[in-house]
Amino acid sequence: MDTQLLTSGIIFGLSIGSIFFLMAIGLSLCFGLMRIISLDQMLYYSIGGYITYSLSLATGSVWLGVLGGLVVSGIAAFAVERLVFRRIYERELTFSMITSFGILIGGIGVIKFFWGVVPRPVPVPIETQIGILGTDVPVYRLVVVGVAILVYVGIWLFLNRTITGKAIRAGIEDVEHVEGLGINVSRLFTITFIIAGSLSGLAGGLHAPLIMVDPTMGLEVLAFVFMVVIIGGLGSIKGTLVSAFIVGQVVSIGSLIYAPLAQMAPFAIMLLILLIKPTGLYGSTLVKK
Amino acid sequence: MLKAWRWWWGILLAFSLLAVSRAFLPLPFLNEVVIFSIYTIGCNFLLGRVGFISFGQPAYLAVGAYATAFYLFYFGTNPYIGILLGLMAGVVASLIVGPLFVRLRSDYFALVNLALAVIVFYLMQKVLAGITHGDNGLWFLTNIASTPVLDLSRPNHFFIFAFLVALAVWAFYKYLDDTIYGAACLATKINEDKLKFLGYSNYNVRLLAFVIANTTTALAGAMYAVYLGFVSPEVSSPSRAADPVVVTILGGVGTLYGPIVGAFAYTGMKDVIAKYIGNWELFIGFLLVFIMLAGEKGIWGTLQPRLEKLFFRNKAATAEGEKTSR
Repeated sequence: MDTQLLTSGIIFGLSIGSIFFLMAIGLSLCFGLMRIISLDQMLYYSIGGYITYSLSLATGSVWLGVLGGLVVSGIAAFAVERLVFRRIYERELTFSMITSFGILIGGIGVIKFFWGVVPRPVPVPIETQIGILGTDVPVYRLVVVGVAILVYVGIWLFLNRTITGKAIRAGIEDVEHVEGLGINVSRLFTITFIIAGSLSGLAGGLHAPLIMVDPTMGLEVLAFVFMVVIIGGLGSIKGTLVSAFIVGQVVSIGSLIYAPLAQMAPFAIMLLILLIKPTGLYGSTLVKK
Repeated sequence: MLKAWRWWWGILLAFSLLAVSRAFLPLPFLNEVVIFSIYTIGCNFLLGRVGFISFGQPAYLAVGAYATAFYLFYFGTNPYIGILLGLMAGVVASLIVGPLFVRLRSDYFALVNLALAVIVFYLMQKVLAGITHGDNGLWFLTNIASTPVLDLSRPNHFFIFAFLVALAVWAFYKYLDDTIYGAACLATKINEDKLKFLGYSNYNVRLLAFVIANTTTALAGAMYAVYLGFVSPEVSSPSRAADPVVVTILGGVGTLYGPIVGAFAYTGMKDVIAKYIGNWELFIGFLLVFIMLAGEKGIWGTLQPRLEKLFFRNKAATAEGEKTSR
């Protein structure tokens, strides 16, 4: 394999890993704090993609579309949290999994209703390419990686430097104690859920120019995002970042060696890691209290 | 004699209702319902008895369907042998992945199973495209030889066969519920520490349940293959991963007749809604959320206590017997 192919493969892997990271962080946060598995994050991803499509068509600016997708999916997440999740935080984990799958399937129906079933293309906002090690690399992919790193730094600062973030971190350790300190846990849950939903929407918006948006796009990334979360360990932000880039590279380099390997290899890695450490790389043995 | 009757009467009643409905419901619909209910009872057993939620049932369905399809497409013509091979493939596949999967916690179990369904989908669609013909699928309707007594290539004979298989499956699951093993399954769902304390291995109980449930699912896959005479990667499509879970919850989690009621309602609704609206995901998704929020009892779970009250007002003894052997 020559260096040019390898370089572009690595860049591709980094950008796809960034998308996975942005989505997995929501799942991870929701599990860590609320002890729910929120499959409807894939819905906010699709919403982000579709809003980006519509806004970029209407205004001509993809960036405005991505921003709109982020806001709209945050609003959608807020509505779902208020209407549905509020009632099921107390229930067991499988309960939230089934309910959120219902939301995901229903949401796909809504998307089909509004936008139809035909895949739609989204223009790439930055067409230019720059040379790295003699290879032409699309700048947009580098921008995606940059956004993901910015989000990681932002989330890290939020969790470590702000009172709300510290409360969230404490909640991940022990929700009842946080409630005992007089912090409004219910509002904390809402904030976390909105953050998770907006980040999924951001992922959808950023991913849209690289693929076509279609109603089942959420289901297509579902398995990969889960692999990321499982490998990294549910509830750990750092583990999510590490495993997102591992899975991204495996998908990208794997497809260079043998195309079908792209889909199979992450699964093999996931099984291997689960065999060695059943809670994932950085996962704790937290269970629902 | 009376005891045997008490044990059997629920199943016989349910299945005679199904047989009677043959008179006024279209045959393809009933075939679909019977196979779908066999497909669902595996998921129902895992979710209701062992406490494992599986979004990966399509994977095992595909294993059964493709084992049957390979035999009928490349090697033989006898559909019975094909179905038997599908069943065996189910046992082998669940024995391979089972020891890895059942060690996991319920949440990880669901996610890993879902990932498996995706992998099987890509395996059949891309990697093994040389033998599975990719998205075009395998067509072998004309390869199925007509067999004596029950000719599976004819839909009305197939219905009788599917009916008998379903009866056997239900009798088996009812028997399982009555055994100590059935109790151990419930115990591993509710309190695994206590089960360990009683000297049972949680791992073994779960592994056996996993193999039983997924073999049933593979059986349903094999029957789909013979019934349709066609198999494509679509059977393990991740977008259909929720179907068995939805039907299980629609019917009532952990109830014996939930899968039949659920399959009936789901297939019926799908047909009706697809005819009028054409966007049935919307409906199914919100129905699922509604049932979960309304108390997750499902149709049969809500009906059962009322029916018992209605029929057994004067026969308390029979009602007691029914309750224990539900």
